[in-house]
Amino acid sequence: MGGGFRVLHLVRPFLSFLPEVQSADRKVPFREKVIYTVISLFIFLVCSQLPLYGIHSTTGADPFYWMRVILASNRGTVMELGITPIVTSGLVMQLLAGSKIIEVDNNVREDRALLNGAQKLLGILIAVGEAVAYVLSGMYGSVGQLGVGNAILIIVQLCFAGIIVICLDELLQKGYGLGSGISLFIATNICESIIWKAFSPTTINSGRGAEFEGAVIALFHLLITRTDKVRALREAFYRQNLPNVTNLLATVLIFLIVIYFQGFRVVLPVRSKNARGQQGSYPIKLFYTSNMPIILQSALVSNLYFISQLLYRKYSGNFLVNLLGKWQESEYSGQSVPVGGLAYYVTAPSSLADMAANPFHALFYIVFMLSACALFSKTWIEVSGSSAKDVAKQLKEQQMVMPGHRDSNLQKELNRYIPTAAAFGGICIGALTVLADFMGAIGSGTGILLAVTIIYQYFETFEKEKASELGLFGF
Amino acid sequence: MARGSSQSQSTSSASSNTRPGPVGIAPRGSAAATAGMRRRRVGGSSNSSSVSASGGGSNMLRFYTDDAPGLKITPTVVLVMSVCFIGFVTALHVFGKLYRYRSGAGA
Repeated sequence: MGGGFRVLHLVRPFLSFLPEVQSADRKVPFREKVIYTVISLFIFLVCSQLPLYGIHSTTGADPFYWMRVILASNRGTVMELGITPIVTSGLVMQLLAGSKIIEVDNNVREDRALLNGAQKLLGILIAVGEAVAYVLSGMYGSVGQLGVGNAILIIVQLCFAGIIVICLDELLQKGYGLGSGISLFIATNICESIIWKAFSPTTINSGRGAEFEGAVIALFHLLITRTDKVRALREAFYRQNLPNVTNLLATVLIFLIVIYFQGFRVVLPVRSKNARGQQGSYPIKLFYTSNMPIILQSALVSNLYFISQLLYRKYSGNFLVNLLGKWQESEYSGQSVPVGGLAYYVTAPSSLADMAANPFHALFYIVFMLSACALFSKTWIEVSGSSAKDVAKQLKEQQMVMPGHRDSNLQKELNRYIPTAAAFGGICIGALTVLADFMGAIGSGTGILLAVTIIYQYFETFEKEKASELGLFGF
Repeated sequence: MARGSSQSQSTSSASSNTRPGPVGIAPRGSAAATAGMRRRRVGGSSNSSSVSASGGGSNMLRFYTDDAPGLKITPTVVLVMSVCFIGFVTALHVFGKLYRYRSGAGA
C-alpha cells in the first residue's frame, strides 16, 4: 500500500454512523422480493406527490427542468432531489476510482467497505448541499419570506428524503428486491409521464377552445366533437403544443426498436476446464454498456445547462458566457430554453421543421450525440471493469476456456469483440436517442431509451428469478 | 446432455445467487473479491448462459454489495422509517394548516 496519506481513510470515522441495510441472511423468495419492491415503489411514489412543508412558491424558471424525468424528481415535493444525490455520488466515485485518483485495492475488504461508505457519505453530503442551495437560492421563496424555522425544516425534509432514497436503493440491491432502486425509480417516473401524456384528462385552453392534454383522450374528444372528421384527425395527429398521437406512436416505435436491438449479440462458446462436458456461452451484447452512455451523456449535458443557466442569469453580457449558452423563456411552458451558444447546439432540435431550418444545429447535435455516446461507452468499460482484460480474468477464475483457443489467447479474442461492441453499441444508443428526439417521442429520447433498457433489464431479472425459483423448489 | 445442462444450470444459479449479499461472498471465495465490481452486473442481466456478461445497467453505480461496518438496520426498519417520514411531513402540513387557521381566527 506504500503507506502515506490516503483519501479513502478520511471516511473511516464516519463509517459507524452511516446507515447500512443488513444483507439477507437467507435466500429471499421471489414473492417476498416482489412485495419489498412494490412497497419501496409505493413509498417513492407517495414521496414524489407529497408537497414539501413550508415552501412558499415554486414559480420561476426551473433550472433542473431538463433533468427532472431522468433523475426521478418532482418539483415542490419531498422528492425534489430525486435520485440526484446517489447518481452524482456514484458517478463521481466511479470516475475517481477508475481514473486512479482514489487508490482502491479491490482485494482488501476494508477498502471496499471504505469506498462504499465514501459513496454513501458523499451522497448524503450532496443531498445536504443541494437542499441548502435550493433553499438559499430562493427556489421556494426567499429565506426572509419563509422564515428561518421553515427554511431549516425544508432542508431537513430534503435531506431525510435523500437518505430514504439511499436506503431504499440499498434495500433493493442487497437482495430483498428486484433490480436497483435507481433504475426502478427512473423507469417509473418516465412511464408515469408517458401514460400521463397519453391519457391525461386535464384540459388546457390554448385559444382554440378547451383541449385535452392526453393524446389518446384528445383524439377521441376531437373525433366526437368536430364535425369535419378529417380535420379532427389531422389536429389530433399534428397539434404542436400538446402531446399528439404521432408522438405516442413514435414512442411505441422506439420502444419496439430498442427491444429488437437488445437481442443482438455475439455468442462466444466457452467450456469449463475441470468439469467435462460443461458447455456454456458468453454472450457479448450489442448494447454492451446498456444505458450507461446516455446516463453519462445526460449527466454531462444537464450539468452544462445548469452552469450555463446560472452564469447567463448573472452575467448575460459576457462573451464567454454567451458562447456557453443563451437562454430564453419558452412561450408555452415558461421554461428557459437555450437559443444560442454551446448549450443550444447540444440540445435536440424541437421538430423536423426546426431541423430543416437549422441544418448545422441538427448536424452538430447528431455528431455530438453519437461521438459522446461512443466515447462514454468505451471509457465506461474500462472504468467499470468490464473490459476485455477484466472479462478474461473473470473467465479464468471460473475455469472457463474458449474451445480452440489457448488460455493466453483469450484476452486477444475477447478484445476483438468487446471494444467494438462497446463503441458501436454506444453509437447505436446515441442514434436511437437522436431518432427518438427527432420523431418527438414523449418524454425525450434520453428518457425513453432509459425506460426501455431498464424495463428490459427487469424483464430479464424476472425471467431469471423465475428460473432459479423453479430450479430450487421444482414446481 | 442432461448432465451437461443441469450443470450449466447450477453455474447459472450460482452466478444469480451472487445478488444476495452473504451468499455472494461465500461461494467464490477470494475470486469474489476481485469480481466484486462485476458481481452486480453478473446478477444484473444474464440469461441461462453459464457465464454472464453485460456491460452495464444503471445499477452499476454502486460498487459492492458486501456488508460494511455501519449502523445496521433491517429492511423493515427502512420501510417503517420511510412511512414515519411520510407521516411526519403529512403531520407538519396538518399542523401548519391548523396553526394558520387558529392564528387567522385569533387575529
